[in-house]
Order: sequence, then structure tokens, then C-alpha cells
Amino acid sequence: MEALKNEVETLLREGTISAFLGMKLIKGQSIPFLFTHPDDLEQLTIGEARYPLAKIILIAHKYPDHHLGIMVRGCDEKALIELYRNKQLDRCKLVPMGVACSGELAEKCNCSKPYPSQFIVGEAREISFDRAILEKIESLPLDERFGYWINQLGKCIKCYGCRNICPVCFCEVCTLEDAPLIPLGKIPPEVPAFHLSRAFHMAGRCIDCGLCEEGCPVDIPLRTLYRKVREIVQELFDYLPGEDKEVVAPLQILGDGSFEITEGNP
Amino acid sequence: MLEESSFEPKIIAFCCNWCSYAGADLAGGMRLKYSSTIRPIRVMCSGRISPHFIIKAFQEGADGVLVTGCHIGDCHYMKGNYITAKRVAILRELFNFIGISPERLRLEWVAASEGDKFARVADEFTEKIKTLGPSSIKNISFNK
Repeated sequence: MEALKNEVETLLREGTISAFLGMKLIKGQSIPFLFTHPDDLEQLTIGEARYPLAKIILIAHKYPDHHLGIMVRGCDEKALIELYRNKQLDRCKLVPMGVACSGELAEKCNCSKPYPSQFIVGEAREISFDRAILEKIESLPLDERFGYWINQLGKCIKCYGCRNICPVCFCEVCTLEDAPLIPLGKIPPEVPAFHLSRAFHMAGRCIDCGLCEEGCPVDIPLRTLYRKVREIVQELFDYLPGEDKEVVAPLQILGDGSFEITEGNP
Repeated sequence: MLEESSFEPKIIAFCCNWCSYAGADLAGGMRLKYSSTIRPIRVMCSGRISPHFIIKAFQEGADGVLVTGCHIGDCHYMKGNYITAKRVAILRELFNFIGISPERLRLEWVAASEGDKFARVADEFTEKIKTLGPSSIKNISFNK
């Protein structure tokens, strides 16, 4: 904690970064805050709450001449990598400060990698991902699976919370607000079209942070749905979003024609 | 619920302008008889078929969706059908997970000279959908 504070203070004082996006402790609550002055760092905290900091740092767009620091957890780092890959952020303009999550938080998030590649605070913990919910749904027969999902998705109040909190959702014009596709003023939205559309957009993007499910006010198991999409993409294209590799996502490009389905589709 | 014998499926067929639509046209020109359950929609390229079109078709009550395009390597726009193959593969898996039979979505490459293939695919697909029965999306009460 002190190590992080000192590091940020040094960077701010020597002018390497103009501002630092971290968490500020206000009345016992930790909330995201853009620290611009070293004296404010008194209230810098890490906290147990997660926010999509990688998405908030998209404000960097507005200040292309400035270098910004950002606190990153394991999931934030994966999100940043996807945002770099989709050309939403400039890697050279950001200074990430790694923070490893506490065991409690990692356990709660069911996180397979609760630490970034480099970190100043905390220690690396290995937690194996629990696939139990996915396996349970996969084992159901087709019609029961359909019933399960329709019941879950039918709870939706169309608050767009899942989209708004998603660190890798960055489009300026959202398909989910396209009136011919998603009729306006209808609650629940068209089930399952609304959620399937969003699920498809998560293909090759979802970093499995689970913020969507945490943010959902009606507890739809969204993470399970997107987790499956992530697995589908991994299986078909051998691509895992959030890995720091020099590759392009399968749906970012048309491809070279090497992928053509034959199996199960005569 | 309709009885299987009287069940006439609704099938949306997306056809690319350059190959598959011409193929469907040829099937007509050759006076081939094929199932009247197919409702063709012409698009300029199979790469234009956004996954939302397919999802929306099912939402609006289609029992099956047939996506057709030029053979790999024959695309009028060089690479448009490459992405179609990827999208359909992901969608089929996604449908399966959500409880919609992936067999309701079929991808087929039909060239302009393959009128007979279009007719054959249309008939085969209609038979398949008839065995699967009406799409369960139509029964969701709160969508009505």
C-alpha cells in the first residue's frame, strides 16, 4: 500500500505522469478517482471493491499529450490488453501500477489469475477456476437448458448495466440501442435476442472479469453465458482474449480462409 | 401446438447476390421443384449477414435460418465469406448452449451454377426442421 503511494508520488512529482487513476477513500467507500496532485494521495486506497478502471481510463483520449498512471488488477490488465488490441488506447501513454488481489477477493471473483504480470502490492495466488455452474447447464437436455435461460433472461429490466460496466465495451454507437433490432420501451427486452446479441459481441473480447454479473441488479448469470462464448472462441480459433500476445482477434479480421466449418454442418 | 403433419416451417434464407441468389434463380429457371417454406432474402455478400439478422429472424418466429454464400475463394468481394464461416460457427455453439438446436442454423456454399444444389439443400433443410418441430422461441409468453 505504502509502496504504491510512494511510487505514484514519485511519478507525479517528477512529471512522468500527469495524473493517476486509482481508488480514493471517501467516507469509508472506495471509489475511482483521478489524482492530479501528489498531496491528494493521502486518501489513495486499494479497497476490496472492483471498478472497470480500464474503461474509465478511456478518458485518456481527451488528453493525447499526457501520460496517465492507472492502478491495475489482473482483470484490469487483461482489459487494457484488449483495449490496446482494438486501438482504443495507446500503450505508450499509460503507466500501469500492478496490484495483486487479496485471497478473499480472488476467491469471491472465482478468478483464475488474480494478479497482473507485474505488481507492487500483494502476492500472487493461484486459484483454479470453478467450472461447476457451466457444467451443470451443459449437462441439461436441450429443452431444459432453453427453459433455464429464458427464465433467467426474462428477469432483465434492460438497465444496460452489463454493457455500461463492461471494460471491453467501447463502441460509441451501441447495437443494443438500435431501434429496429431492439424495440424501444419494451421490458423485458426481446428474449433471447437482446442477450444473444450482446453475447455475440463478447466473442473474442470477454476477459471473464465477471463485473457484468456483479453489476446486474436482477442476478442474471451473465458471466456464465459470456464465459461459454469465451470457451467457444478458444476452442474454434485458439484465441483467448486478454493474453499479451502479438495476435489479432479472430473477428477483427476477415481471415485467410483457412477456417471453414465442415463438422456437423453437411 | 401444431401437429407435426400440418407443421409448415418458416425458413429464412439469406442469399448473396453474386452466387447463391443466382443459384436460387437458376433452380427456378431449371423448373426444379423445391420446398415453398424457404423465404429468400437477397444481400450483397454473405459477409453482410450480421449475426443480429440471424438472431432477429429467430426472434421474429423463424423455425430455421439458411445462410448461403459463394464457395470459399469465389467471393465477389474476395474475403466476405471468410467471416461468415466464423460467425456461423460461433452462433451455432451459442445457440446450442442457450437451448436452441444448432441444426436450425445451416451454412451452405451455393455457386451461381448450382441450381440443383440450392433445391436439394432447401428440401433437406425443410425436412430437418420438420423433424425438429416449431421453434420454441415462439412460445415465450412475455415476448408476445
